[in-house]
Formats: sequence, structure tokens, C-alpha cells
Amino acid sequence: MPTSLSTRVVLYFYGVVIIFLLYLPLVSVGFASISKARYLSFPIKRYSTKWYGEAVQSSTVSELLTTSLWVAILVTIVSIVIGFFGALAFARYQWRYRTLFQKLILLPIFFPQTVLGLALLMWFNSVGVIPSWKTAVVAHLVWIAPIATLIVSIRAYSFDPALEEAARDMGAGTWTILREVTLPLLMPGLISAGLFAFLLSWGNFPLSLFTTGADSTLPEWLYAKMVSGYSPLVPTLGVMSVVGSFLLILLALTFSWLIRVNRESRTTQKQKIL
Amino acid sequence: MSEKAFLHLKDIVKKFGNFTALDGVDLGIHKGEFFTIVGPSGSGKSTLIRLLVGMDDVTTGEIHLNGKRIDQTPANLRPTCMVFQSLALFPHMSVGQNIEFPLKLRKESPAARRTRALELLDLLRLPQEYYDKRISQCSGGEKQRVALARALAFNPEILFFDEPLSALDYRLRKTLEKELKDLHARTGKTFVYITHSLEEAMVMSDRIAIMKDGCIEQVAVADEIYGKPVSRFVAEFMGEVNLFPISADAKGTLLSDFLLVKNCLEVNVVPPNAQGLLMVRPEYVRFVNDGESYDFNLSGQIHGEYALGSRIQYEIETTAGIITVEKLREDRLNASNGDAVTVGFNSNCTHFICDAI
Amino acid sequence: MNALDRKLGFLSSLPLTILLLISFLAPMAVVALFSVMPAKVFSLANAPDFSSYSVFLSQGYYKSLLWSLGMALASTCILLLLCWPLAYGMAKVFGRFTLVITIAVVMSLFVSENIRLFGWVLTLMKGGLIEGHWRAFTGNGFDSPLYGVGIIVFGLVYVYLPFMLFPLAQGIAMVPDDTRQAAYDLGATRWQVLWQIEIPLAAPGIVVGSLLSFVLAAGALAESKILGGQAVIAFADDIETAFTFGQNWPLGSALSIIMIAIIGGLALFGVSKVDLDAIMGRKR
Repeated sequence: MPTSLSTRVVLYFYGVVIIFLLYLPLVSVGFASISKARYLSFPIKRYSTKWYGEAVQSSTVSELLTTSLWVAILVTIVSIVIGFFGALAFARYQWRYRTLFQKLILLPIFFPQTVLGLALLMWFNSVGVIPSWKTAVVAHLVWIAPIATLIVSIRAYSFDPALEEAARDMGAGTWTILREVTLPLLMPGLISAGLFAFLLSWGNFPLSLFTTGADSTLPEWLYAKMVSGYSPLVPTLGVMSVVGSFLLILLALTFSWLIRVNRESRTTQKQKIL
Repeated sequence: MSEKAFLHLKDIVKKFGNFTALDGVDLGIHKGEFFTIVGPSGSGKSTLIRLLVGMDDVTTGEIHLNGKRIDQTPANLRPTCMVFQSLALFPHMSVGQNIEFPLKLRKESPAARRTRALELLDLLRLPQEYYDKRISQCSGGEKQRVALARALAFNPEILFFDEPLSALDYRLRKTLEKELKDLHARTGKTFVYITHSLEEAMVMSDRIAIMKDGCIEQVAVADEIYGKPVSRFVAEFMGEVNLFPISADAKGTLLSDFLLVKNCLEVNVVPPNAQGLLMVRPEYVRFVNDGESYDFNLSGQIHGEYALGSRIQYEIETTAGIITVEKLREDRLNASNGDAVTVGFNSNCTHFICDAI
Repeated sequence: MNALDRKLGFLSSLPLTILLLISFLAPMAVVALFSVMPAKVFSLANAPDFSSYSVFLSQGYYKSLLWSLGMALASTCILLLLCWPLAYGMAKVFGRFTLVITIAVVMSLFVSENIRLFGWVLTLMKGGLIEGHWRAFTGNGFDSPLYGVGIIVFGLVYVYLPFMLFPLAQGIAMVPDDTRQAAYDLGATRWQVLWQIEIPLAAPGIVVGSLLSFVLAAGALAESKILGGQAVIAFADDIETAFTFGQNWPLGSALSIIMIAIIGGLALFGVSKVDLDAIMGRKR
């Protein structure tokens, strides 16, 4: 059943429309951030970048950014470590409670985050921990570490256990195998899991809302301003946050591309020598 | 090409971008015949069958079935049906539901469908209990039969087969080849079978077409393809073969660099002024004992001896390269590697391929 | 399953299991305990009663639950219809363009939900991107579609599109091309292929995608607050209010437990129906 040309064209067009709609609101935010007026109204009459200047100078903004950044960095590091071992238990090793484990880690992902945040708030309160950005790290981890595990698992599934067995056959111990065989092979999965962890933590709002205590992350602050009335700094900071995320993705993509190019050029060089 | 052919392909061309997969295929297949298309991978045979079934569109050319043009008809409206290499059984349906699928599409009553499905299980020698079995519970050979039953339930004018036996082990394949031939005889349907295996083609087919690089090289009955190939490609594709460059002068006198011809004037396998290859199959080559003589002779040394079950194959190193000789096991030669031998064969066992190199 | 695998599997599951025990299952237990405390207490050292659950029925909280579930159902159905053609394209037609779509959709996920929804407010409000330009062109404005039930469902569809799209595409990719072609060859029309072959064989993807989007949409809060202007109160909103303004932890906990029971039940049911190993691409 060949897909006819007209069907293909319609499908491509449909895909482009969906992507366009997905990003349309960001376009509005972008325009709003460079509108000079304090009260936004389209079409925009005068453009200015003064809100960016104000945002950069504001000490509140730099505080928000520092908190968000620290939370995201810690979440990323811990998620990578947990995701590495979690993925091995999820996909690689055949052990007794594997299916139970697989289901357990799906639960937090399915869970409504607002409720999770509130539950954690009560829990911290019950055990006498005062919420701060550090407790937010734990809250983020409950949701992000399982996601990181799933991402690494996809890589772990395509991994041939015979490679580890071969290493063991040649006398390598468990740690050596993990370090020399498993870790390098799972590396692409770990990198994308780290990227996901950072970005999801950076953009997360419902978990942060109840677990940061007196501290505040960027999405929390944006939400507070959104529901309490318009502030021209909201689109400005929104754009800054989005641009930051996309720069990071771009960086990661360039980096992985460079590694691939480098590896290919090395192999061609070797072939030339041979 | 007979205009009366049941399935008639006229100058079929299929291009994928710059790549020409089929380059002008003409073919006529008769009603009720078991027709096999053989070719190495990449020869275009799979593309051809996809066009015939309607899963791809021809670039140019026409397909006629029973006098009606069908190349613009979509696959679901063509009265043809294919048994896939993967069998493509529906994993979410039982054996019975699979077989009934085409009948269900025609809105036949559940009772009639069931009756027909049970008949087909019988025809394919599957027990009736299989009706409720899951596909995943069937063995390879059973799945094969279910796929056939499903195709027959569709009651097509022509049944196409896309190498359905290639994934099975040797013994099962041999059994199913014979069953398929038997089924063909009992149903009287037109079967068009594609395969890369010469053996499969030889066992089952009435006629065989050999494909190479998107073209049909030769169409003939199995014996003719084997004994009288039209090109070096066909000769070599159809099994072990010995080929010698040969030519004849204006008077028909044979000229060969390698072969010792007993009586150049009496042997007229090559027309005057022609040149090409002289072919002889290994089973027709004899070891020459003292006092015997053949039309063509050649001497060399034994290079290797290989047991092929009922036969023994010898490789003889000669000035013309390695010559292959096959003997029945009971006629095994009492010799070892390096022994000098003379081999020979008669002209009535040879075939001259004109203009081949 | 050899002894070494068993030991290593158990050991490597420990970090995540411990994290989830301490910061997921334990908090859930606390919520469950608080839900049976008398109203407005802040410690667990009280005699249990079930007053909070009766408040759920008596004070009309079930209405917002029904709204949340209804809107989640509506958005899931819309998403299924909306995503099927695109997922089909990604799985079977697009080739390299699939990667472009995947990257574009995943990148949108990294933008905080708040910012994206706020962007829709700017786009759709009176004097927003669309209406503002329309009025500048034609001289006539029109009413903003914001602040209603419809726009909340729209917001849910928008935010949870990736959660339907990717499982669906994965599900469709699991339908072997041969079975589709065989059905077609046996005389099926495109509709018959869709209903009798593609949908049953893509069922795991459909189940996972629908479940994810339903569950996430049922627990959503921001869409009704930011886009809906509280036209209807989402159940998650009730929960939040009970905790924050209401200062009634037992009520909030009871409402949470009701939501957890519904969502958790659905999630467990769905997850138990699906072979995770197959969906995630096990190659063994």
C-alpha cells in the first residue's frame, strides 16, 4: 500500500502546522518581551530592550537564576548516577523483582505533580525538615530520576550482554566491567538523560511551588506574577529562560556532533594508514 | 510472446529515483501454471512481484490479467494474493480468524466462513483444532500452511509467493516444496513463485524465468534452463558448470585453446564463423581410461575431492583452469591429490552459448 | 537468570528504590494518614476520623473532580484523533523529517508549562497577537476565547500533546508493514486496515499514550488557572486551596487520596496490560 504523494504532502503540512502551533505562544512571548509599553497590546507600536536591561540589573532576578541553577545542577548530577544504575536494573540484569521495579518507577512519572509537591511538603514537615531549595532538589528527583532511568534504559536495551560476558571471560571484575565496558557504551544515554534532567528541573514549577520554602525558582516567580497581574518582566524572563535552555541543547547537539565527526575522521585516518 | 497469456507483462519499467530496478520486463504466464522467477538478490524479482500484487506502481509499462489491464488497480481490488516472506500473519487473531479474514471482508456469514476455513485446514493437512489456536502457538511449518490457507480463502486468480520458505530449515523446506507442488496440482490455480534458490525452482516449477539486473535473461522449462542456458550468467546460476571459450572457422572447424578435439570435422556443435562458450555440466565429464576416447579431452591433476552426499565432486587443475567433475559415490575414483588424469566428454552432452565470453 | 545477574540487578536498583521509598512512598503514607485526621490539625497525633471524606461529598468537591476527569477525557480523545495522523507520519512516512519533529516537540517540553500557557494568553487575549493584529487590519475586534471550559481543554491538549504523540508513534512503528500490506492485498480497504489491523496492533502505544495524557490532564492545575481564569475549578486546584488558603491538611489529604486512588488505579491497570520491554525496544 504505497502512501500516495497527496497523502504525504498533507501529512508533512500537518506536521509543520502542529510544530508551528507548538511554538506560536513563544512567539507572542518573544514579541511581548521587546515591547516598550508597560501594558502590552498588539500590534506593538514601539520596541525596546529596556526590560532586558532591567532584568539583568535586578538582584531578585539574579537570585532566582542562582537558585534555579543550583537546583538543576544538583538534580542533574544525582539523576545521572541514579539513572545509570537504575537503567541496569530496569533493562540489563534479569533479577527477581525486575517487573515490580519497572512499575514502581513509572508511578511518580504518572503522578500529578501538584499533589506530589504537597505530599512532600507534609512529609518534610512531619519529619521536621524546613523546606528550602535543597528540599526542592529532592522533590525534583522523585520525578526526574525515574525519567532519567527510562532514558538510559532505552540505550541499555540495545546493548548486547555478550560484551560484558566477554569482558568477564577475559578476567575483568564487576567494577572493571562497569567502568571499561558498560559506562562507555551507555554514555550517549547518560548524556541525554543529564540534559533532560537539567532542562526538566530548570522548567519545573508544580514541584517547586510547595517545596522551596522561602526560596523561589524562576518558574515559581513567573507564575506568581502571571496570576497576580501583568508584569513586563514576565515575558522578558520567560524569553531568557527559554533561550538559555535552547542554547544548552544547541551546545549539547554540537558537542555530540563534534565527537562523531572526530571519531569518523580518526577511523578514516586509520584506514589510510592501513 | 503469446497475447493469450493469462498474466501478461508488457515492457515493465520501475525506477526508484535514478536507480532502475526493472528495465523493460516482458513476460507471459499461462493459466494454471507453476511459474517461478529466480534471480540473485538485487536482480529485481522482489520489486517485480510487488508491482504484480499492487504494492508499488509501475513507472511505465502495462500488466494485463485475463485480458484486463490491472496495473492501475489498487492491491485490494486486484484478484491476486501474495504469500509474504514474513508470512504476515495477524498476530492478534487466531488461526481461524486469520483464514477467515478475506471472507469477513466480503461480509460472508460466520457459518459459511467457518465451514470454508475448516475445509482449508483440511486441504493443508492441519487438524481442525488449530482453528482456535493462536498464531504464536504454531510452528514454522504450521504458520506456513496457515498463510497459504488464508491466501486460498481469498480465492485469487493468481497466487504469488515471495520466498516464503527461505526462513525454514532444510528438511522442512524440502517437505513443503513438495506439498506446495501437490497443492498446485490439486487446486489448479496459477502460482507465481519467486526465490533465489535454484533447487526450489527446479523441484516445483513448470516454467522458470531467470532475472538479472532488472531484466529477464531466459524463460523456459527447468530442463531447458539447466541444459541450454542462453548466457554465461544463467549457466553459472543454475549450478556447477564448466565453460570453455571456443570458436569455429568459416568451414565449421572447431578452434579451441584448451580442448583437444578428437575429430574437428565431424563434431559440429559450433556453427561456422561463430564464437562463444562451450558448456558441459560436471556430471557429464568422464575420467578417460586407457583405450577410451571422447569428442573433447583435457588433461590435468587432481586438485581436490569433496563428498556431496550421493555424489563425489572432483576439482581438476588444467590449463583451462579448474574443471569440476562429478561422479556417483559408487564410481569413486581410486586416486589422490596431485595424480595426473585425463578427462573427456562427448559433444552430445555439451551446449554452445553463442557470443558469450 | 543467573545468580550474578540477580545480585547485580538488586544492587543497582537500590539507589532509585531508596530514593522512591523515602521521598515518594513515605510521603504517600503521610498523606494517607493525614486524610483520616480530624479537620484542620497539623500533626498526626490525633484520633482518626473520616470527616474529611464526608466533606468531599457534602461540600460539592466531587463536582470539580468530575470536571477534571471530564476535561481530561475530552482532551485525551481530541489528542488521540489529533496525534494519530502525525504519529503515523512519524512512524511510517517521514523518514528524516521524523527527527526534526521529535527534536522540535521535545524542545518545547523543556520550556516551563507556565511560560507556554502564558504565551497563549498573550496570543489569544483581547489585544493579543491574533485579535490585536486582526483589529488593526479590519477595524473590528472579536471576543477573546479565553476564560472558559473550551480553552482549558485546548490548554490540556496543547501541553500534553508530546505524551500522546511519542507513545502513539512507537505503537504504530510496532505494526509490521507486511501485515498492513497483506490485509490490503486480501481485499481490505484503508478503513478496514486501520480498524482491524493497525489499531489492534498499535494498542500498546494507544493505551500508554491515552493513559499518560489522561492521568496528567486529570491532575493538571495551571491550564484552568492561567487560561481558564477559574471558569471551572480543577480538582488539583481544590487540593491546593485546601492546603494553602484553607489550612486544612486533612481535607487536602483526603482529596489527594481520592485523586491518587483514581489515577493510581488507572495507571496500574494500564501498566499491567502492557509489555514495557517490547515498547522500549528490547532487542533480545
